Amino acid sequence: MKEEFTPRIIYFLCNWCGSGGSETAAAHHLYYPENVIISRVNCTGSLSTVQMLRPLIEGADGVVISGCHPGDCHYNDGNFRARRRVALVKSILSTLGLEPERIWFRYVAHSEGRRFVDTAVEFNDHIKKLGPNPLKSRRDT
Amino acid sequence: MMDAAALIYGTNLGGYRAAYALCKKGYKVILLNRGSWVNEVRNQALSQLPLDLCWLCGQFPQRLFKSLGCLQDYYNSEVIEVTGQGGDFRVKFKKRDQLVDNYSCIECDRCVEACPVEVAGRKPISVHPQVMWENTYLIDWENCPKCGKCEEACPTGALKLERKEEVVEVRVGAIILAWEFEEPTDEELRDFGVGRFPWVVRNSELARRSSLTNFVRDSLRLASGQLPHKLAIVITPHFQRGKEYEPYNLSVTAVYRALKVKGVIPEAQVAVYLRDYRGFGKSHYRWYVKAVNAGVKVVRAERLQVLPQTNEEATLKYELEGEERREGYDLVILIAGQRPPTQMGELSRLFGVKPDRGGFCRLREFSSTQTDVDGIFAVGEFTGPKGNPETIWEGCAALSEALKYLGEPTFKPPPSPQLRDLPSEEAKIGVFICSCFGTFESKLDLPQLAQRVAEIPGVSHAEIIRGCCTPATIKETAERIRASGVNRVVLAACTPIQKSGKFRSAVLGAGLSPLLAEFLPLREDVINVHRDKGKMLKKALTLIRGGVEKVRWARIAPVLRDSFTPAALVLGAGGAGLVAAYEIAQGGFPVTLVEREGKLGGKTAYLNPKQRSYLQKLISQVEGDERITIYTNSELKGVDGYGGNFYLLLTTPQGEKSGEAGAIVVATGAREYRPDGFLYGQDEGVITQTELQNGLEKWKGIGFIAMIQCVGSRDEEHSYCSRVCCQQALRNALLLRENGSQVTIFYRDLTSYGVEDYYRRAVEAQVKFVRFPAAGYPQVSREGKSLVVKLPTGQEERADLVVLSTGIIPDRENNERLAALLGYSLDQDGFWESDADAYPYEEIIKKQTKPYEWATNCIYPVGGAHSPRGFAESLLTARDAAGRALVLLGKGELPPPNGPYVAEVKESLCMGCGLCVDVCPYAARYIDEVRKIAVVRPSLCDSCGACVAACPNDASYLRDFIGNQSIAALDALLL
Repeated sequence: MKEEFTPRIIYFLCNWCGSGGSETAAAHHLYYPENVIISRVNCTGSLSTVQMLRPLIEGADGVVISGCHPGDCHYNDGNFRARRRVALVKSILSTLGLEPERIWFRYVAHSEGRRFVDTAVEFNDHIKKLGPNPLKSRRDT
Repeated sequence: MMDAAALIYGTNLGGYRAAYALCKKGYKVILLNRGSWVNEVRNQALSQLPLDLCWLCGQFPQRLFKSLGCLQDYYNSEVIEVTGQGGDFRVKFKKRDQLVDNYSCIECDRCVEACPVEVAGRKPISVHPQVMWENTYLIDWENCPKCGKCEEACPTGALKLERKEEVVEVRVGAIILAWEFEEPTDEELRDFGVGRFPWVVRNSELARRSSLTNFVRDSLRLASGQLPHKLAIVITPHFQRGKEYEPYNLSVTAVYRALKVKGVIPEAQVAVYLRDYRGFGKSHYRWYVKAVNAGVKVVRAERLQVLPQTNEEATLKYELEGEERREGYDLVILIAGQRPPTQMGELSRLFGVKPDRGGFCRLREFSSTQTDVDGIFAVGEFTGPKGNPETIWEGCAALSEALKYLGEPTFKPPPSPQLRDLPSEEAKIGVFICSCFGTFESKLDLPQLAQRVAEIPGVSHAEIIRGCCTPATIKETAERIRASGVNRVVLAACTPIQKSGKFRSAVLGAGLSPLLAEFLPLREDVINVHRDKGKMLKKALTLIRGGVEKVRWARIAPVLRDSFTPAALVLGAGGAGLVAAYEIAQGGFPVTLVEREGKLGGKTAYLNPKQRSYLQKLISQVEGDERITIYTNSELKGVDGYGGNFYLLLTTPQGEKSGEAGAIVVATGAREYRPDGFLYGQDEGVITQTELQNGLEKWKGIGFIAMIQCVGSRDEEHSYCSRVCCQQALRNALLLRENGSQVTIFYRDLTSYGVEDYYRRAVEAQVKFVRFPAAGYPQVSREGKSLVVKLPTGQEERADLVVLSTGIIPDRENNERLAALLGYSLDQDGFWESDADAYPYEEIIKKQTKPYEWATNCIYPVGGAHSPRGFAESLLTARDAAGRALVLLGKGELPPPNGPYVAEVKESLCMGCGLCVDVCPYAARYIDEVRKIAVVRPSLCDSCGACVAACPNDASYLRDFIGNQSIAALDALLL
């Protein structure tokens, strides 16, 4: 039996609903795995495809992005753009030798602490099943 | 020496808005809260707003202005004496400090933990979460032993059990009375079973239950734990004339509540019981149509009562078309009206203000907020039943009307600390780890973390700080940062959303720009959400590494300032335009007034003699004011620039004229609907209400008069209520009855409202009322000497005169042309969009940081251009616009609302493709036609980063999100 694989996961949160979700979760002391690393951006719409791909290329096992629900974006429509970019990134991941399911985009509202934590837990389990990032062993990236 | 420019007594929304506007303009304000915590005395919004989670946060002046120092608020306060006169009042009041000072409370809950008493599973001290405010800690004094353990446990000294009552005397220029909403007592709602039956609940109680969670199913649960499946919503003032008064938005509250119920319990049957659907605000009729289409039953009943029943079910007994009916429901939701202030007598005694006929505070005629006493103003629900828009408008209108008593704006925020000049210095990074007054120590090994952090390359200083969110610790942290000699800061503390202002002050206090700092929420990302101490340490270290990388690349940049053109443009010289122009000019700014017609005054045909003479007075005031430049027979041809810096082109009889303005008021008015059908234009016996009003003498002695309501309103083509027609019809009917004529009014819903109960008087004067449904308009035909008004049901009336109550329609062509020119949207009905909807939805909560006045690009539609409204309300909207404009025009120069956090362009990389311009939600960018590169307008930029992601060349960046900065930070997270 392989030793326990602890995924390295980057969770992008927007500064408004996404962060709010994490704050609500913290206010209620809801727990999620410690290996999920948080990175905050002002709006998920400001994440370029480069920023989404970079963690995966640098060896992270999974990337999950959370922003405001459709219609609730703090900056009007950034989350719509983010969704499209994630779809774009998913479609090219296979050309890089990665599974498209290594990147997720999920809406989390400010008050949805539970949903935030559930996303982190579900994604962690999901990546554990997928296994480590196949690019980690390569030297040409 | 004045203590403040104005004293605001009471916390209704109008008062808050006035406080906000006054502070923003630079006046010092004193706010007296009668309660012991911020929302204790509930205002109209908290009692009756259709929304359960409102954006009150944006309205609170306390948040920003108290920390700046221009707002002083007092709790448990009560005015005991007032002397002096307008411009120089002396007000004596009692006050007692709050139990917990919100500004020093860190919400650590240690006071609750320390409390030794427990009664029925709860402690006497407990947390009460608030809408968009810090948690409030309250004590149930009956069970509190006053042992003082909570006070000892408080790490910041925010909690004080013993607080003396003190008497304070202040000198102020003006007084604004903002008394809050009073709901009828349970006794007054006896007929509806309040307090007697568990299946009857007030709407305000539901709102209270749901205010933090935006209405979930549990708010509706019955005592048995079941969800109701058959609900009735009753608007009680419709069935209790004279006891309660109805703010008009109750109708829309009812249908909104119905829709919300169906949203959480889709299978529920919901019925709304009312007398008339009186939603005449913007889009209120559309809500009604939406509810009806969603299956909500709307019952227009007479005489309703809630009967007791033994089998856990409420029965409504009501009268429908003369027949008594009964219907059973699982839950009855009551939407109660407003009663006149119980303390009106006391307030009259103290301030000299007088009550009107209904018991509310009386205002001077044609004024929006002035009471009978010079220098004393009244806003919001204190002056009578009204909807929330009116309450808000009165806030800024108070600023405009009170200006002459306020003196010069004397408040200046403390100067920003000197920032160090850094370009030549090498980056020296300091990491400051907050211990939250020791709360974190048991959860994470902070000394070990500090030690590991100090080992990160580039970190020259790592230390643990006590806290940085109370005034004392902010100062302490600033000093520690300064003493450490670092020029980049990583602060690992807690929630950035509520406390970013405090953290930034700590960094500024050390002489560093906040652009050089990164704030990591250690509490949210590590401490509160994980268990394994070893793994938590590792994660904290990783996050701090990311922060360190980010600040390593951080660069300072100056805060850009934008100049503000201190002049205004008013389009349209009707009543609203004239008032706006006059009040802005009185505030000291030049105004350009542009009128399409050859004369001033706008549409006067529908005004009564008193209104007409007031309008005449306005016209001579405006013509006599040198600061107002009037152009008649002129139009706006072109506009360039943006809010605060508009460049204008006008066509006038003397040729083209150019000009500049900081704010634009659109007062272009509306038009009267010319009826199609009903024999109008074909028979001289069929006229409109306006024609009747202007020719009452001619029609004296006429035997039978029939009036038809909603002609051109609330139909397929005009899905809104025109607001003035029912009132006009009732007034005219009363006058005709005095002359002995018989009057029959054919109506759908009677939307007269407020303290003047015209409807009741009309019924008493024996005006006959015949109701018809939306699909069953009457037909008018001529039979010899009489006109016949016949309904599809067969019922008919003979009349000598038929009067059509025609609605107000937008001046579509003009609106569309101007809206395209100004880049402002029109609503679905062709009027100018209200500011809440004109710009992105989220703008509402962003108004905490961005001034309200700027949110619509400094374009303010008022009067008939905005929506159908009567004369007094048109003047109110104009005064609100004037107040808003006056706040901004005097500034001269303003930093962007976002401070240093704006987008910039790396000019060498930009190729002028324009993708960033398309993507920006705020129109904050444009392509410079000469240099062919993108340029940012800093005062419109909200730092969202959409342009950063869209730029194909990496030429667009945010000052705190420079391309390589974020990539380096990401890489560090994966080390």
